[in-house]
Order: sequence, then structure tokens, then C-alpha cells
Amino acid sequence: MRWEHEKKHPAQTFPSKGQEAIAIGTCLALEQGDDVLPSFRTRGAMIGMGIGIEEQLREFLHTPSAVGDARDAPHHASWPERGVMPGSTMIGGHLAMAAGVALANQTDGASNVSVAFFGDGTLGSGDLHETMHIAGSWRLPLILVCENNGWEMATPWPKVRQQRSLIPYAEPFGLASRQVDGNDAMDVYQSARWARATALGGQPVFLDCLTFRMGLYSSHFGEVRPGIENDLAEAAKRDPLKRLGDWLISNGMASADDLARLQRVEERRIEAAFAHVAAEL
Amino acid sequence: MSLINYRDAVGKALQDSMREEPRLIVIGQNLAAHALKPLAETYGLDRVRDCSISESAMVGMAVGAAMKGMKVVVMIAYADIATVCHMAIVQSAAKLHYLTNGRLHCPVIIRLPIARFRGHGPEGNEVGVSWFYNVPDLNIAMPGSPSQAYWSFREALTRPTPTLFFEDRSIHLRAGELAANNPGGRAAITRAGERLTIIGAGRAAALAEDAADELSKRGFGGAVEVVSLGFIKPCDTETVLNSAGKTGRVLIVQDEPEWAGYAPYVRCALDRLPPGSLAMAPRMLVGADQYLPYWDERPFLPSLENVVSAATELLK
Repeated sequence: MRWEHEKKHPAQTFPSKGQEAIAIGTCLALEQGDDVLPSFRTRGAMIGMGIGIEEQLREFLHTPSAVGDARDAPHHASWPERGVMPGSTMIGGHLAMAAGVALANQTDGASNVSVAFFGDGTLGSGDLHETMHIAGSWRLPLILVCENNGWEMATPWPKVRQQRSLIPYAEPFGLASRQVDGNDAMDVYQSARWARATALGGQPVFLDCLTFRMGLYSSHFGEVRPGIENDLAEAAKRDPLKRLGDWLISNGMASADDLARLQRVEERRIEAAFAHVAAEL
Repeated sequence: MSLINYRDAVGKALQDSMREEPRLIVIGQNLAAHALKPLAETYGLDRVRDCSISESAMVGMAVGAAMKGMKVVVMIAYADIATVCHMAIVQSAAKLHYLTNGRLHCPVIIRLPIARFRGHGPEGNEVGVSWFYNVPDLNIAMPGSPSQAYWSFREALTRPTPTLFFEDRSIHLRAGELAANNPGGRAAITRAGERLTIIGAGRAAALAEDAADELSKRGFGGAVEVVSLGFIKPCDTETVLNSAGKTGRVLIVQDEPEWAGYAPYVRCALDRLPPGSLAMAPRMLVGADQYLPYWDERPFLPSLENVVSAATELLK
């Protein structure tokens, strides 16, 4: 988003700050041949599936070696041969596409799942209900991962639905479901492992991952969410990166200095990646 | 060569495709127990999928299966239902090949039978072809004969982008021979003539053929050439222009109103002919700009009588 404000690229960006554990934890639980369909906010799914920062940035900047030729917006960029399928369509439409990937896997007898990420606002989309209906009926090897951050742009969930959790909407269709602490990478990972086994065993899965969107809806929308200061402070305490770091420290697997150094290294690597890709132009 | 009717030609195209393409599946309603019972018995319920009444997700799933290299035929009960899955057709199916820079193909047929003259009323008697005319990468087939029905279906499954297959149930029982080879999306000259070209697709092409035969009986033998478009997008304008350039007179027949569709497109394409190629301005005979009432749809659509009448005027 900073690069966008500095006019280094023209893309609209959809911050996933606070939600990182959901995509990364899920993708780490997948196996070779599994596919994901990210939502427009699931940048972490591209990272989690091993798409390098430079490869992603090429789609932002339309460099000659951008494999997608920057035709699709960078938040919909895809690497099909590496399991990142395009989620490009309208809200909810990509869930049916994920069911189609699962349908192909089922018909081929492949031992693979497809995973679709989406926000809780997608509850309003007819395609979510159609997809759950069909997936439950056909017992597709499909995992629906809801990034349930409680907000539809600037509208809090109680204004637009009766229940925070989406599980009550999913279970009657025949989906196995689990409430997940979306800010706990370990819970996400364990849940995704369970989901994968369950989906391959003949029951599609709905993971309802509770989280909080700490950033804007998008870099262009610039919405104001009055009175969320307490929520933000609470979310900061539950920040998934901080929690994973604390867990590593408390288990003696890293020191605070290690993590601080790692963060500096990664930040430098990302800045260097941008410079390197920009030099391709 | 034996004759086959239009409906059976579509069925044969599906059967032959299922036999030759082991990763082709069919999704629709009421298939295994009724509409495609023999296919379901031969190829199993994995490849002949009975689905809930979820046309939007059916098309979306077809796109997802295509991402994994499958070919899919989506059976929509009738063309009006294209309104329900318009999003999935335009946003999910048509754009896939472009948005992935050609890395993913979408060999998907969305079968949309036109269901007029069956008492459905205005929610069930639309043509709907022109609603999609400006969507890039979307193939639109509107076969007018059994051979076109068979070969446009087979051709569609070879293309990297999806095809809307508008078969017209009102000509389901029309019989003809199947061509030996796939014309690859080219239009067909179904009647040869020297003085007037009538251009149409689907039922309108069949009407044009009947009109040419009728005019032969009325002393205009060898006068009327009929171009049956088959694929209206992409459209074989070369065949159209060659015929129009030869006869110098053109009548375009279309069931939909004149605002959009192949009729105004073809009429504009005629401007590519050298100046003076046409003896008179091309004429369009089109459906009325209104819904078609349950009680009788025919007064608002081109008919054999008014095609013959318009052609006779142009031949004078």
C-alpha cells in the first residue's frame, strides 16, 4: 500500500493485516497437487503456496516476465501450475469455481483438495449457498475457509446478519465445520489438516476462522469505522504474528532478538525485491 | 447418406464427444433418470451429474473443472435461464483464458435451448443471444441444421474459450445429412443462388431455406442463396461477403429485435464490400421489439410468409 501511495504501482490493494495466519496456516497444511482460490484479500495464500515476492510484484508492475502479463488485477493473479488458481470473478463466484476444481479431482479419483478463501460478507452471495448445497450433496473434496473478520467494508456484521459465525449456515448443507481462532496459526494449521483429511474422506469442510481486519477495506475505499479503537487494541494483542513469535520464544525455539533480526532481514528482502523487479522494466 | 434430425444430431454430438473425450462431463438437472439416461448408464454418474437448480454455480463449477483440464457441457433447461447464470458466463467462464494469459483453457459448452412455441410465455420464450454479443472470447453457436448442430457442438469443445450453444427447439425435428467433416466454424451455403442472399442463424436460417424453396416454386429458381451462419460469434463474414458480393442483394433475418445481434453486425460488415457491390441497401427482417405473449408468439417473429414477401420485393 505504501508503494501505491508513492505511485510506484497503480494497483488497488486490500490489506490483510491481522488475518495473515489464516492463509499461511491453511496453505502449510496442504499437499502437492492441492489447489487454492484466494479471495481478493488473501495475498497470504500466494505466499503460502510458494509464489515468490518478485513473481508477485511482476504482476503489479507489468514487467516483461510477468507470467500473467498483468492482465488480471494483482490481487487476482494466478499460478495455476503451482496450485494458485484465479479467484477472478464476482464475490462468491470463485467458490463455485473451487467446487469445480474439487469436482475434477473427485471425477479423476485424485487424492487432492481444493480450498477457497472468502470473507464473511460472502454470506450474502447466492453462489456461496449454491456451492455449499452442491458440495454437500456430491461430497466434494472442498474446503471453504471463511476469513470471518466481522466487517463488510465499513459495515459491522450485526447490521447485516443474525449470527457472527457462519457455521449455522453451512452445517445443514452437509459440510463438516469447525470454529477456528483465525489469529492462531497453530489452530488454523491443525484445523486445515483435519479439514483436508475430512474432505478427502468424503465430506466437504467449512472452516470459520474468526479474526479482525486491522487495516482498511482497500487502499481506495478509505472507510472510517468509528468506535473501533478498543477492537483494534484488542486485535493488536491477538495479532497472529506476535502470537506465533511469543509461542516460539516460550518454547525456546527463537529469541526476541532472533525475531527482530528476521523481521529486518525480511523487510530488506522485500524492498530489494521491488527494486529488482522495477529494474526489469 | 442417412438423414438425422436436429435434436438427434445434438444428442449424437454429445454421445460421440463423451465416447472420445474421457474427461468430458455433463452437468444439469434431471439427467440420469430422464434426459440422458443412456449416457448415464454407459458412462456413470461421475460423468453425468445431476445437480440442484443452481445454474450460476453449475457454470462456475464447469469453469473450475476446466481449470483442471476437463471439458464440460452444462445443460441449462432453456435459454431464458441464461439470466440466472449471466455472471458466471461473463465473469467466470468468458474471462478465464484472457485473465490467465492463456495458461488456462475453458472448453465449456453452455447448452441453452431456445424454447419458443411451447406455451412457456415471456419468461420462457426468449432467444437471448444478443445479450451476450459484446462479450469478448465468448463463442456463440446458433445452428440452423442438423449438420451445423452436430459440428458446431464438436467444434466448441476444441476451443480454448467457452461456447453458448443456442439450439432451437422449434427446428428439432428438421432432418438433414451430417457433413463428413467439421467445417471449423465456417458458415454454410445451404441454398445456392445468383440474385439474392438471405442470411440467418438458427430458426431464421431454416426459414430462409424454406423461403428459397418456396421462391423456386414461384418462378425464382436459382435466384436465392442462403447463408446459414452456424457460429454467429466469431462470425464467418468472409462467406457472407463473398455471397453478397456475388448476388448484390441481401436480406438478413433474425428472430430478435434489431437493436443488437448478428443482423445489425452483418449489415455493418457489408460496408467492407467495394463501393457499388450491392444493387440496393441490405434489408433486415427482425423480431418485434416486445416480449412474446403466451397466447401467440408468431405474429411478432419473422415467418415464412414475410421472408418470402421481403425476398420477392428485393428480387423485383
